[in-house]
Amino acid sequence: MMFVTGPAFAGKRTFVRQAMGWDEDELARHAVWDVQNVGPETDLTALADELATREVVIACEVGGGVVPIDATQRAQREDAGRLACLLAERAACVVRVCCGLPQVLKGELA
Amino acid sequence: MVSLIVGGAASGKSAYAENLSLGLDGRRVYVATMKPWDEECRTRIARHRARRAGHGFVTLECYHDLVTLEVPRDANVLLDCLGNLLSNEMYDHDTNATNVRLLTADVVIEGVRHLAATCQNLTVVTNEVCLGGTNYEGDTLPYLQALGRTNRTLATEADFVCEVVAGLPNVLKGARPCAC
Repeated sequence: MMFVTGPAFAGKRTFVRQAMGWDEDELARHAVWDVQNVGPETDLTALADELATREVVIACEVGGGVVPIDATQRAQREDAGRLACLLAERAACVVRVCCGLPQVLKGELA
Repeated sequence: MVSLIVGGAASGKSAYAENLSLGLDGRRVYVATMKPWDEECRTRIARHRARRAGHGFVTLECYHDLVTLEVPRDANVLLDCLGNLLSNEMYDHDTNATNVRLLTADVVIEGVRHLAATCQNLTVVTNEVCLGGTNYEGDTLPYLQALGRTNRTLATEADFVCEVVAGLPNVLKGARPCAC
């Protein structure tokens, strides 16, 4: 599994499509994105194990702003960060996309 | 030679971009984008001015319509920053009018292309503001989208792209054009 992360609106999905040579339909079949939007009381380890069976998993980095005043948003942000760590552990390759440009943080691009 | 320098608030991106610019050839021109509309802005402007002092930069103020800015052909331009420029194009502090459309990004993109085509070296500072999630109300999310689009587009066209973290360069594209 390749895990792709980075800021919002940084071009993560475009990068995956170009790197894998996929069109929009293939992207939808082989990849899953916005996994940072974790529901409450989610078993993060089980979710990470399940996501690790996909070819590409994409998450938006959301932990770089101020702590949200709303408790639900706060918990979701925590879960998003933890899930990203679990996904990176399981991934053969981790790529961060910033300004549309990929940077390999772990492994190698296939 | 076009360089794009991206970073979060107070990451050291402006100081890094200035150092980079000082290593490039050409007549030094600084394009300032921040409207001095309150005390906080004026303090920030004074800090940046003090850092540039003695380096021979000619300062041009440009808050809107970068595409109309004239610079000498041999200019070595430092433009700081796209976040301000986009904000000036989208929101009018005096009238509270807004022009919040994704395509507003194109006004900024075309302005940078214009400078790139008319000067010798161009160093552009931009902002990373999309790391705090997308739970925003009102006009904020379209601004983030537009700045994201601006950064992605210009990163494709730039020769050198560098993210600055705690004052240190993390090169994303190209080779450093000078020791910086």
